[in-house]
Amino acid sequence: MKESLSYEERISQLRLTKQQHTLEKQRIDGTDGYWDIDDKGIIPKPEGFSFIPESNHENGDFYGYEFSGKNYQRLLETHPVYINKVSALAGGWMHQFMDVRIPKWNPDISYEHLHELQQKYDLIHGIGGAQHFNVDFELGLNLGFQGILKKILIYEKKDNGQHTDFYTAEKNVVMGMLNMITRHVNQARVMAKEEQDLVIKQNLIKMAEVNEALVNRPPKSFHEAVQFIAWYVIFATMYNNSGAGGAIDGYLYPYYEKEKKKGTIDDERAIFLLACLLMKDNQYYEIGGTYADGTNRCNDLSFFMVEAAHRLKIPTSICVRVHKNMNRDLLTLSVKYLFEDKLGTPSFVGHKGMTEGFMKNGYSVELARVRAKTGCHWCSLPGLEYTLNDIVKINFLAIFDVVYKEIINNNPSVEKIWESFEKHLKIAIETIAKGMDFQLDNMYKVLPELVLNLLCHGPIKSGLDMSNGGARYYNLCIDGAALATVADSFSAMKQRIEIDNKLTWGELDKVISNNFENNEVTRLLLKSVPKYGSGNSIADEYANKITKMFTKLVKEKNTPAGHPMIPGLFSWANTIGFGKTIGATPNGRKAKEPISHGANPAAGFIKDGTPTAIANAVANNQCGYGNASPLQLEFDPRMAADEKGIELVSSFIETFCDMGGTLLNINILNKEQILEAHNDPSKHPNLIVRVTGFSAYFASLSKEFRQLVVDRIVEGL
Amino acid sequence: MIGTIFDIQKFSTHDGPGIRTTIFFKGCSLECQWCHNPESISKKHEIQIFPHKCIGCMNCIKVCDQLAHTLLNNEKLYNRNLCITCEKCAKNCYADAIVVAGSDITVKEIMDKIKEDESYIKNSKGGITLSGGEPLLQSKFAKEILVQCKEGGFHTAIDTAGNIPFNNFLDVIEHTDLFLYDIKMIDDILHKKHTGVSNKLILENLVKLNKIHKNIYIRIPVIPTINADEQSMYDIAQFIKPLKNIKKIELLPYHHLGISKYESLSIEYLLSNISSPSDELMSILRKIFN
Ligand code: SF4
Ligand code: SF4
Repeated sequence: MKESLSYEERISQLRLTKQQHTLEKQRIDGTDGYWDIDDKGIIPKPEGFSFIPESNHENGDFYGYEFSGKNYQRLLETHPVYINKVSALAGGWMHQFMDVRIPKWNPDISYEHLHELQQKYDLIHGIGGAQHFNVDFELGLNLGFQGILKKILIYEKKDNGQHTDFYTAEKNVVMGMLNMITRHVNQARVMAKEEQDLVIKQNLIKMAEVNEALVNRPPKSFHEAVQFIAWYVIFATMYNNSGAGGAIDGYLYPYYEKEKKKGTIDDERAIFLLACLLMKDNQYYEIGGTYADGTNRCNDLSFFMVEAAHRLKIPTSICVRVHKNMNRDLLTLSVKYLFEDKLGTPSFVGHKGMTEGFMKNGYSVELARVRAKTGCHWCSLPGLEYTLNDIVKINFLAIFDVVYKEIINNNPSVEKIWESFEKHLKIAIETIAKGMDFQLDNMYKVLPELVLNLLCHGPIKSGLDMSNGGARYYNLCIDGAALATVADSFSAMKQRIEIDNKLTWGELDKVISNNFENNEVTRLLLKSVPKYGSGNSIADEYANKITKMFTKLVKEKNTPAGHPMIPGLFSWANTIGFGKTIGATPNGRKAKEPISHGANPAAGFIKDGTPTAIANAVANNQCGYGNASPLQLEFDPRMAADEKGIELVSSFIETFCDMGGTLLNINILNKEQILEAHNDPSKHPNLIVRVTGFSAYFASLSKEFRQLVVDRIVEGL
Repeated sequence: MIGTIFDIQKFSTHDGPGIRTTIFFKGCSLECQWCHNPESISKKHEIQIFPHKCIGCMNCIKVCDQLAHTLLNNEKLYNRNLCITCEKCAKNCYADAIVVAGSDITVKEIMDKIKEDESYIKNSKGGITLSGGEPLLQSKFAKEILVQCKEGGFHTAIDTAGNIPFNNFLDVIEHTDLFLYDIKMIDDILHKKHTGVSNKLILENLVKLNKIHKNIYIRIPVIPTINADEQSMYDIAQFIKPLKNIKKIELLPYHHLGISKYESLSIEYLLSNISSPSDELMSILRKIFN
């Protein structure tokens, strides 16, 4: 190693480490070596490390506060130390606590009464779903780990033994955290002693000091605050794959500002520290939004986050909040790097659509403004709200399939199918609602939110888990999927059977039952009807009717236990799975093919799929209550190769957000390169794509998922 | 009023400032060998054939009264000479293997399309561009669109090759914020050879237009073996130097994207052996205009 390394060189080394880890994971992870989820920064385990939890059930698994707390403490206490000596931050995670849990639900707590309808409509009901809500880092930064422990002890005392299990488990977890940090302090000291390079030696000494401080008191410096967040995301991710980022530029600014004034930090160091944080975990961070009072939150750190991701060039999930008073330079820089780096980051969240939408549920503007982007497609109130975001889904196509089969041989008409669609959708939503109540009653008995609880406002005070009464607000997410597939199916039937008389119901039945076998003509006859997204088509009308009806049905009543639900349109992780169980459909889709994604029109919906046509379609199909119907878009890198292009794309993003768009994910992909990588992933091992809410190494995606990305691109560009 | 166009392109970013909707008029008075929109040349509707998309359903053979579609040794053939462009086959080809280039459209229909993107256009300080083909061959139709666009607060541009009577410019000049004026070359013999017409009227019109319109961009297609050399560019630069209302000069590198369209129209493509000019050459040529 050279005498001393610059920040730039250290960042390059971090990137290489990440790429090595990824290659190693691609070799050893999973059954086929691929995983279609967020790249969350997991580090390959050293040989010989394994963790076997203690069981409290005959099936060998463990459930509830006591064993979750005890086991997690032991995992933290035995987890290997991970220090990358060029990073300023200690720690890394190698083991997913939830992975060992098979099945993920305690079989003694039965929801058999819901099975029939859940299966009938192929519902993703959310029972057993964990995390997917947001913590308040301000709370954690103010308290520090010792402060959190003290808080637990104070409230445990007040509780008078009513929730002993809860408090004991939370204490276990914090003790485990402190143990793991302490072991890193010791290791950093040992490494510092042996280190020859002066800069790295200094770095290790500093790392030990910073972490020692965190063991004893709340963070004071910017470095300590960043290390605190890094630890917390590691602990949260390792416990149950949590997303716990949020408005990072707001949380960290006071620490940065203090040091900036004193002159103890410069821009380069601040950017480097943020790059080290991004290395730890691909968390969802929101930048550039507003504070509760509406003042602009954009500050130096908003820019530094974008800069850090730009220098690091690994998958990250930073999201810029786009609003009327935003700092335009932040948008310009984000678009510039988006096109230059082609990493699919940052994404863009529409402040207006999110804020005004959430207020329609009866919340103040102050709360709505700070409901920060923390997940793939979702926002949540930091530390206050339990949401089940992104884990409850209704496949409109599954509902359609039930209806279609019921009616096709029963004197069918499009009108009749539509009416029945509404009836069945309603039942499906009611089934979901009952399942959510069941989850809120029972989830803590399976896997309580022991890590996220610590940085939420209610649980420690009340002794109740976030999933079980500890949150101040409950707004349960329910996402619809396959909007385009169903809208296009309705319009194909309407056009070809009832308007053109080109096909009879009997003929439709026959070709669908045969999966269009030897009947490509009829398939294309159906497929060539103008699709959702082409503007003013029958399919556009149906898409709009479906969105409105879904929203109305979700909002017209709460769950039986009285919890409100919030509708959105999103399906990515289920786009393939949802299609697999369903036969051919009247839009010309063959059996088992994927459904359409979120609120996006079908791939190839018009000949030249222009960004504005897609954006108009998606903006017109927002459910409008503060949960997203994201727009997924592909651009050719040449689009914003110069200043004019950057300006046009920035303006495009602003307009989409101004029209009520909630979220915008943009991939910058070179068609030739992606096709080559699809055929032979090893040719482009470091190619990163934005899959939807998250970015990932393309080579790490399964073939089916790669195909989905390729289809979108080939049709889209 | 009805006009003939062959495409409406939204989110167009290379035909003037901002995000634009570009309307492509059908019919042109030039026949440039490198044209990447060969369907723009004839004013008439045309049948385009894309054999790789054909699924062999035989619908076209069934519906064509002229017997222009036939099957020979299992190969589907189309005889353009027999075709009267009734468009029946295209309507019955769901595989998009037979497509009609050209549609007759009203001003209102065009305005409806433009308005779909109004927010994007206006927020980006963009507008609409009439292109082609030669939009000024249908200058009355163009004028009506422009008038309505101006009433609706849209920035307007016309992309013209200039080979039309100057009166056609007078029809639209009041309602046009920007002219994109295409110049290919100054040498008239070469011009005739490669575009089929003299450049005399084109250059005269440019001089006249410069006297009465304040906002003109010159656009020059750069075609290797034809005008992608310093002398050709220098000649153009000299010609436009005295023209004070030329606000910008854009050099557009040749690309092959239109070749498959030639086949679809049964037109021979004469430039099949040339490739796109390199970035280095483009930057050398651009410097000539600085
Ligand atoms: S109608 Fe179209 S798909 Fe059918 S045979 Fe003719 S060209 Fe082929
Ligand atoms: S356009 Fe009419 S005449 Fe020409 S090939 Fe088609 S059906 Fe026959």
